[in-house]
Amino acid sequence: MRADGKYIAPGFGGWWHRQGRWGASHVLLAVLAVTTTLPFLWMLLASFKPLEEVEQVNPFPTEWQPQNYRRVFEQIPFARYYFNSVFIAAWVTFLQVLTSAMAGYAFARLRWPGRDHVFKLYLATLMIPGVVTMIPNFTVMVKLHLLDSYLGLIVPAAFSAFGTFLLRQFMLTIPTSLDEAAAIDGASPWRIFWDVILPLARPGLIALAIFSFMGNYQSLLWPLILTKSESLRTLPIGMLDFDSTYGRQTNLIMAATVMNVIPLVILFVCTQRYLVKGIQMGAVKG
Amino acid sequence: MSAPGRRHETLAALGFLAPNFIGFLVFTAGPLLFSLAVSFSNWSLQQNIPFQWTGAENYGELAKDKQFWIYFVNTIYMMLGMPVAIAGSLVCALLLAQRLRGIVVYRTLFYLPTFVNGVALMILWKALYNPSFGPINAVLDWGLQMLHIPAKAPQWLLSTANLFGLDPQELAVTWTKFGLGARDALIIMGIWIAIGGNNMLLYLAALTNVPQELTEAAQIDGAGRWAVFRHVTWPQLAPTTFFIVVMSFIGAFQGGFEQARVMTNGGPSGTTTTLSYYIYTKAFEEFQIGYASAISWVLFAIIFVVTMINWKFGSESWNE
Amino acid sequence: MKYVFLGSFAFLSLLSGIAWFIQPEHQRHDRVPLIWVSDPNPARREQVSVFNDLHSQYDLKLDPNNSGMAKVIVQSLAGVGPDIFDCYGGFDLSGYVKAGVAWDVTDELAKGEIHPLQDCWPGSFSVFVLDGRVYGMPTNVSVNAIWYNKDIFDACGVPYPKGECTWEQFIPLAQKLTVKDENGRPKHFGLLADWWGWKQFVYQYGGRVYSEDGTRCVLDSPEAIAGMQLFHDLMYKYRVMPSPSDEQNMATTGGWGSGTITLFSGGRGAMAVGGRWWLCTLRDNKKLRLGVMPAPFGPKKVYWAYGRASLVNKNSPHRREALDFLRYLAGREYNDLINHQADALAPLKKYCYTPEYLHDPEFPNEDYNDVWRDIMRYGVPEEISPFVDGHAAGRLIDKQLDLVRSDEESVEKAMRNAARQVNGEIQKTLARDPQLRERYERTVGGERP
Repeated sequence: MRADGKYIAPGFGGWWHRQGRWGASHVLLAVLAVTTTLPFLWMLLASFKPLEEVEQVNPFPTEWQPQNYRRVFEQIPFARYYFNSVFIAAWVTFLQVLTSAMAGYAFARLRWPGRDHVFKLYLATLMIPGVVTMIPNFTVMVKLHLLDSYLGLIVPAAFSAFGTFLLRQFMLTIPTSLDEAAAIDGASPWRIFWDVILPLARPGLIALAIFSFMGNYQSLLWPLILTKSESLRTLPIGMLDFDSTYGRQTNLIMAATVMNVIPLVILFVCTQRYLVKGIQMGAVKG
Repeated sequence: MSAPGRRHETLAALGFLAPNFIGFLVFTAGPLLFSLAVSFSNWSLQQNIPFQWTGAENYGELAKDKQFWIYFVNTIYMMLGMPVAIAGSLVCALLLAQRLRGIVVYRTLFYLPTFVNGVALMILWKALYNPSFGPINAVLDWGLQMLHIPAKAPQWLLSTANLFGLDPQELAVTWTKFGLGARDALIIMGIWIAIGGNNMLLYLAALTNVPQELTEAAQIDGAGRWAVFRHVTWPQLAPTTFFIVVMSFIGAFQGGFEQARVMTNGGPSGTTTTLSYYIYTKAFEEFQIGYASAISWVLFAIIFVVTMINWKFGSESWNE
Repeated sequence: MKYVFLGSFAFLSLLSGIAWFIQPEHQRHDRVPLIWVSDPNPARREQVSVFNDLHSQYDLKLDPNNSGMAKVIVQSLAGVGPDIFDCYGGFDLSGYVKAGVAWDVTDELAKGEIHPLQDCWPGSFSVFVLDGRVYGMPTNVSVNAIWYNKDIFDACGVPYPKGECTWEQFIPLAQKLTVKDENGRPKHFGLLADWWGWKQFVYQYGGRVYSEDGTRCVLDSPEAIAGMQLFHDLMYKYRVMPSPSDEQNMATTGGWGSGTITLFSGGRGAMAVGGRWWLCTLRDNKKLRLGVMPAPFGPKKVYWAYGRASLVNKNSPHRREALDFLRYLAGREYNDLINHQADALAPLKKYCYTPEYLHDPEFPNEDYNDVWRDIMRYGVPEEISPFVDGHAAGRLIDKQLDLVRSDEESVEKAMRNAARQVNGEIQKTLARDPQLRERYERTVGGERP
């Protein structure tokens, strides 16, 4: 904040704020926003079209079919899939954030033999394409009797090397003076973790929560192989139903996608404020 | 710290690490070791071929496999968009960091492509790339007409043409294959998705952390806006840039899978098949798990080397 | 911070409670549960419920999957595979057999007086018969004929086509129906065809994909090349069919050949090569007036037949009960249902000669069912080679054909490359599998395997 109370946006040293309402940055923002948004407008319009018209040149349907939305619910148990997707993604996010925070704290703050080697191991596992680990993972699930269950969908996804990495970076940027002060006061590592570190790492936790929720919400291959009963399926699997030997019902896919996106948008809008203040901490120090 | 204190910390560390680490062992490290072991065998899910340890045979076959090298080149080709995507996300972050009215709306709109990933997005882009009726070519055609350039708009997803004239079947450059084709189409789509995406968020956060005093001091010293950016903002962003570059490389090497599977089926003529899609088809269509595992581990080795190079290269800013 | 976590945990527990509460009753213990993995075609629902009505001791459920063989094989490997699953091609069948997942039911079915090799359309054999043994029952079978749009014919003043004809006779007709608008953009084409039907052209000119003994890929034979050349020329020489770029103009899609259906349904083609199963989509478009004529043929009068079959999982604990599902597929109720749903043609020959099939009271406009049945007699199943993996060979062939389709390579060169690469793949496969190599040597040496 400058002395005169004006907020100077970072980057070009205040250049931005000297523009009026229709300044260059507004124009630029609008243009870019249009390029990202136009395709979705097309998608929204397509969701109201009858199938023959979906891929015609004219983006506007000649015959508005809002019943496409109803048909989505009729053709597949969409409401149940919706619930499942949100439920599973929420649990995974919760567990991921919790376990990654704890592990991140262990890597960032506590000293123990072999700490950095184990961390490099975590990092290395991020670099391997996950396709081939599907079969052994699946076998483990079967052995643990977690097949075709909510637990099977939640538990393997709850552990994330990426989350640990991100939160470790975060916690490294928190000044150690605070925990040292707490330690002198006789606090155990557990108390320090909960009362000192976590609140300061809140932006990082939120960032991880967003990335994690979105990733899990959209995941397809693993739930597809793991589930057998209809009552456990998630939205991406449900969307496959519109693409069968019957033909691809593009208009229904569009309608389903529009509805799909709503929880994500809500999540983002509510939390983006915390993001802006915080993610940088994770990347500043090594 | 005294010895009991140290031990106390180690115990505490174990406690904190345990839930994550157990899961890590069971669901990540374990299966990875399994796949490493399998890569030295001929496991192919077929009952009539007895399971045998074949040593490094898979890796040897890999080196001779023409498909592997072609797809390797494809994977590298797809990285052409990376610098543009990273720079683009920085520009978008600069724009979105301002406290203008309605900035939340803009931020959400920019992030929209990341929300709507999947089948719908791919269908959408297939329609956009329509060579005769899609909007992209409509604009290009109009532009070419205006400038009186006697060229045709590219065929995009249907063409094996590309910026380097790579032949789809051989590791060679062919004169006739210059142009814009499926690969380039996917690169452009990738850039569009990435510029408002996760990297943009990371940059956004980093920007708001740039201390105001520094930018003000530079201004007082008479620096113009570009100089402020170059000498104040950019260095502050270096650690974030480094993080993003490392993760982008990892992502690029492992990527291209969804597009290949949903949009192009790896075509036309195998030009959009990347290594990760190749691994998938070898594992889940031809059921040669041993070979697919070998490819995965070679890919890992490559990513590892590249990451180490990045680390060394960027370590000055990383360990400031 | 603590409260955030505690609060989230409480909320999630609440959700879990709801989740547990709304779980449907898992299974009725008085019924034997059977899981059937198939693609999520809406017609399946009725097919499942008819079975459940007929067999109250079973509870058949559909587990949708249209992502290939991965799900079935991974699950079966871990011992939790489905009881029944569908197979969409000869190579998939051979993959399932080799993985030990498909159950040889030849004798079991014979006990129940079901002899698929006599009763079913020969065109369906590729999806459930391997080396003379039966592994399941076909669920439907299809060949492609020509759909034509009566309104476009009327608009161009062309009389409706009748009877059979060769490609030479057909081309002028298609050319008359290819019309451009004032700007030179195509309004509608004379003929639309899915690229994945290319095998029909190869067969009609006397070619084959694999030699009779399966030891070689013979796409480089002059007959096969001639067949593909025709397909190519329809697009680029006679211009009666849209090239891929034209096709993209009018519609894009993926999936199972749904692209051409949408195009045709949108009035962008006067005629289209398609199967009876197109009706599942076309029936929704009430404005279409349709007719069917047999597809043109080349020197050989054959049509490529394709279909789907349901196989039983050898490792399923309920495999004996699953046999009842196969018997259901051979029964009257199911066959009539397929004919009525127009999900291609019923697998058993005799049910296609009934009056209900010829004139379905619910769809009086469909006066062409006799055509479908009659051409089915000329349907030949595709051949496979036991010496190569179908997906590997398929990808190699498709890569070359993509080039032909976009006119980037001459037909002859592409086919030769394809044959050469597939033969190379065969050698690689033999190197991996000593048993197979033995069989190969014996076959090449003249012995019948």
